[in-house]
Amino acid sequence: MNPSPEQIKKINHFSKLPIDMCAKIAAVVEIDNCPVKEELLTEGETGDTMVLVFQGQVEVSKSMMVKAASGFTTSRKSIIRLETTDPPPAEDPISEATVAVVQLPAFGIGEFSLVLDDAIRTAHVVATTPVQYGILKLDEFSKIVEENPAIGGPVYFEVAKAAVNNLATASQDISNLTQAFFFSLTR
Amino acid sequence: MSELNQPESGATDDLSIDKLEKVVETNKDLYDELNKLTEVEAVEAFDTGEEAAAAVQEEKKAVSAAFLKIKNIYLDNDLFRYAVWSILLMLLSTTVLTIVEYDTFRDSVSGHLGKDNPNFFDTFYNTFWWSVVTFTTVGYGDVSPVTHFGKLLSIIIMLLNFGIVTLLGGAVASVLVAERLKGDDKLDESKFNGHLIIAGWNSSVPAVLRILQTDKNSTSVVILVNETDGELIERAISVFEDLDITHLCENFTNETVLRKAFLDKAGMFMILPDNSGLLPHEEPDEDKTVLTCLTAKAISEDCPVVAHVLNPENVSHLQRANVNEIVMPDEHVPHLLAKHVTNPGVPQLFDELINQEEDDKGIQQVEIPRPLMGQTHNKISAYFKFKHQWLLVGYAIRKSGFSLEDQMGESGSPLIRDMITEQLEGAGIKLSSDEHVVVEINPPDDYVIDDKHRALVLR
Repeated sequence: MNPSPEQIKKINHFSKLPIDMCAKIAAVVEIDNCPVKEELLTEGETGDTMVLVFQGQVEVSKSMMVKAASGFTTSRKSIIRLETTDPPPAEDPISEATVAVVQLPAFGIGEFSLVLDDAIRTAHVVATTPVQYGILKLDEFSKIVEENPAIGGPVYFEVAKAAVNNLATASQDISNLTQAFFFSLTR
Repeated sequence: MSELNQPESGATDDLSIDKLEKVVETNKDLYDELNKLTEVEAVEAFDTGEEAAAAVQEEKKAVSAAFLKIKNIYLDNDLFRYAVWSILLMLLSTTVLTIVEYDTFRDSVSGHLGKDNPNFFDTFYNTFWWSVVTFTTVGYGDVSPVTHFGKLLSIIIMLLNFGIVTLLGGAVASVLVAERLKGDDKLDESKFNGHLIIAGWNSSVPAVLRILQTDKNSTSVVILVNETDGELIERAISVFEDLDITHLCENFTNETVLRKAFLDKAGMFMILPDNSGLLPHEEPDEDKTVLTCLTAKAISEDCPVVAHVLNPENVSHLQRANVNEIVMPDEHVPHLLAKHVTNPGVPQLFDELINQEEDDKGIQQVEIPRPLMGQTHNKISAYFKFKHQWLLVGYAIRKSGFSLEDQMGESGSPLIRDMITEQLEGAGIKLSSDEHVVVEINPPDDYVIDDKHRALVLR
């Protein structure tokens, strides 16, 4: 079953598109269901699909090396939880959130796959409630943009905005890590 | 001759005495005006009305502090706790048995003392005697309960008593064992809080003690830690009658020794080049100073450490050891020598200020009244000048150390910030450097002071 054009328009990346354009995207997306605890995206894997979450809550986490009593080990650290509000999740989350929960009408993840072939997933995304989602493939989206160039501008602008934000955060992270490095060297 | 009476500086050649007097008069008007400001009036109110309120507040604080202290002793000290239980049990059993077995204990008083009509207090005292005899397991048997209920209560009391006596005996034994393990020269902990510890012995220690003795505001409790002969130290410190000085004749680089001197509760730890056991031509080993600083900071990061070093090469080591202040005695000598040539009078001024021995004279650090916080330097200066006749020279400012957490703020991803914090704390690295003091001398008139400032005044 395909989502409705209105469902597509609720997603931030497509919110500026006219409804007839959203209908073209909806036509190539198939709605699917994902049970709790299942991974929607896996960090480090490559992919050419963007996941559109229409209902449910997901947790975004990253693998990090930490020092434990037994030595260095890799641990998964939660970064954020994303939750739909229109409609809200069908069930309560499987566990209480230890990180911020950002609520949006609906949301997309893995948006860099709309511009990059085989983009590397930068984080794990796991369902914390049953999730209703759809997959938008790069080649199908590219084909729609080729036929309707007007779609490209607003969508690529949102993707570029996310990329610039990520870049600014990464730059600040490097600054923080550098400070911490020199601080620890002098102690 | 008249030319000799003129101001010697060329810049003041065009200033007549009249003009100078006018300048002085103008400034006086300014100060008079400043003195009338509400802030200054508020300070006067602060000096009088608020003092009484502060005294009441202090009294309340003292009472609650006493309760807190007793509570802490009760929680921390097994011996005290079990002794309290024992006394309570004895009083409880005395009260209950006096009520239940009143006739028995009253008759016993009559039998022993020959009193025909013993009163309640005689009977209560007799029952208390029975409680103590029973509690201590002496059991004279001169008096005992006779009713079934009285005997039943006695059984319960004796069973409870058995448990408490066992615990109390164990606590006494453990205290004795702990005392034996710690050694006989353990200091009385209650005396030491905010005290000064001086590690190392040399000729400057008596001079330091002399200054401490004249300053009524500084601590009078001092612990000297060094391996110099006890008799020599006794002779040297005998003149400081106003100071409470304790000598620990042990190696101050040893962590156990610093703990014994209650470093964790000290107000200041001073490390000096140690001449203990050295021949006159031998130099003190300054590695001990660095090592002691590291040990001290491992025991208590908050205790300020002042180190006196002779070799400038050790400064970087001490900074790495997180010392709060470093004193190098020879660093001022070239400046003083040069000033004799360039600015005669300045070195003499330094001598006069530093060697001032009168308690209420010289350069001193004083609190700035709270209502003046947020005011500018010229107003603070006017306050000290007209209220106390003191000259405000500058300010000692407590600067908080560098904080990595403050530096990072909310920037970057929380994940990375949390990881940095967790990993550094896990590795035992403190995320901030210690607070330190900087000096601001003669700032501009519009310089604003805050609660981190203390005034440096010339009295």
